[in-house]
Amino acid sequence: MTPSYWQKIGVIALNTFRETVRDKLLYSLIAFAGLVIAASLLAGSVSLGQDVRVINDFGLTAMLVFLLIITLFVGTQLVFREIERKTIYLALTKPISRDQFYLGKYLGLCLTILVAAVMMAVLFLGVLYFKTKGVSVSAVWAIGFLVLEAWLLTAVGLLFSSFASPISSAVYTFCLALIGHSSTSIWTIAQKSPVALKGILEFVYYVFPNLEKFNLRNEVVFNFRPDAVQVIAVLGYFLGYTLVVLFLGGLIFRRDEF
Amino acid sequence: MNFKSVRLIDIAPFFILLILGTVIYISQLNYDTWRWNSPGKIQTTYNEYIEPEPLSAQATRYASFGATEFTADLYWLKLIQYYGGGDPSGQYRKLAELFNTVTDLSPKFLPAYQTGLLILPGEGFTDQALALSQKGKKNLPDSWEIPYYTGLVKHIYKKDYVAAAEEFNAASKLPGAPEITKYFAALYYNQADQRQVAYALFQTIYQTSTDTYVKDRAQKYLGHLDGEFALEDAVSTFHQKFGRNPATLAELVDKKILSALPTSPLGFEYKYDAQTGQIDPGK
Repeated sequence: MTPSYWQKIGVIALNTFRETVRDKLLYSLIAFAGLVIAASLLAGSVSLGQDVRVINDFGLTAMLVFLLIITLFVGTQLVFREIERKTIYLALTKPISRDQFYLGKYLGLCLTILVAAVMMAVLFLGVLYFKTKGVSVSAVWAIGFLVLEAWLLTAVGLLFSSFASPISSAVYTFCLALIGHSSTSIWTIAQKSPVALKGILEFVYYVFPNLEKFNLRNEVVFNFRPDAVQVIAVLGYFLGYTLVVLFLGGLIFRRDEF
Repeated sequence: MNFKSVRLIDIAPFFILLILGTVIYISQLNYDTWRWNSPGKIQTTYNEYIEPEPLSAQATRYASFGATEFTADLYWLKLIQYYGGGDPSGQYRKLAELFNTVTDLSPKFLPAYQTGLLILPGEGFTDQALALSQKGKKNLPDSWEIPYYTGLVKHIYKKDYVAAAEEFNAASKLPGAPEITKYFAALYYNQADQRQVAYALFQTIYQTSTDTYVKDRAQKYLGHLDGEFALEDAVSTFHQKFGRNPATLAELVDKKILSALPTSPLGFEYKYDAQTGQIDPGK
């Protein structure tokens, strides 16, 4: 029986997941994230009674940083490594389109990021439970949005890796992440700027990914939970932006000569 | 093992490593001896006090890339180390700035406003504390703690009892305010004895606060005021007995009015005016 379109993508995705999960760098990064999350207990002990706040902020920021590092160092090398090792020829000689290959790679890396996020989240929520004897639903929401942000950046990293070297892709993705998290500042500066500069800054604000939409970390300490409208809006933005980026990446990958 | 087949070239790396290790050890010993026993050519000072130079809140916000609460936590920890570590000059010039940065980055960080209102006036930054209070009232309009603590500051440091009464009155109308807040507002408006009221205020803070530092601080103020009351009562007793005020506080001990002079848990020195017989709480 011929596998369906999505089954082929699933096979590539699972294979990519197995390949990335074997990467020792991934476990080092998760271990370091664990150390930072555990160290937040120490920082919390000298915070004059604000230990829960410090654990929340340090833990979630550590998760963001390490998920970003995983995206940068693992994700941007995916396609490049296949091309360098010439294993891509083996894959593309099979009855599989370049689009399916590209999408499979993306979904496989998303699965890896999800597993890494779950491992870090278990440790973080465990530390939080140790302190508060409860589970913070706001923190779980923040982690969920964090994973969406990492998936969006993965799509961006994959786009860059389809035409640039791994180092360049990592740098471009990192810069985009910084711009994405500065979106609020960009908008504020734009409103105070002359017309020409305002136009440029507003263009940057709308075209570059607005990662602050996924930022619930600042609200966790106040037990904020997003309402339905916010969740739908963020999901819609994530799906729309990711699909556009994947489409562009797929277009470039289709035209690549290896 | 056949030692005849072992060549010098096989064991040479081992001996080279051993010699190098010995050289490193001896040179390290010599260096340590030189450093501890002579002034050395390079003057260095250890444990040099470096005053924090916080970025402006605006700049910090831009540099935080969305992690404003995390950055506020970093500045909060820095503030604790700065104040807790001690400023050799005793001036804590950057204290108000640090509180401002923390609360600009995290406008709803209530304990920062509370701690600022407790600490800043005691270090001579009363106006900055009141400015912090204004910011706190704007960002946390439902917090009874901020006007309550502001009332304390206006009473003790500004001696503006009407303004203090207004603060307590405002606090008493906010959700969660202790019952006694209304009582304090009434007391001030009726121009009751201020130190007694301050004592009751600190007692309320000690009883209601869940923050260990704030509780500890309130307890110390209670101990300080106990000392003041004890000295005032002793001066009054001395005057009744000898028809004059004591020349110094030590005379209270000499004449057996007190067994020992009280010491302030806050580290303040009680000052005494022999002319008027008044005790100044000091700083």
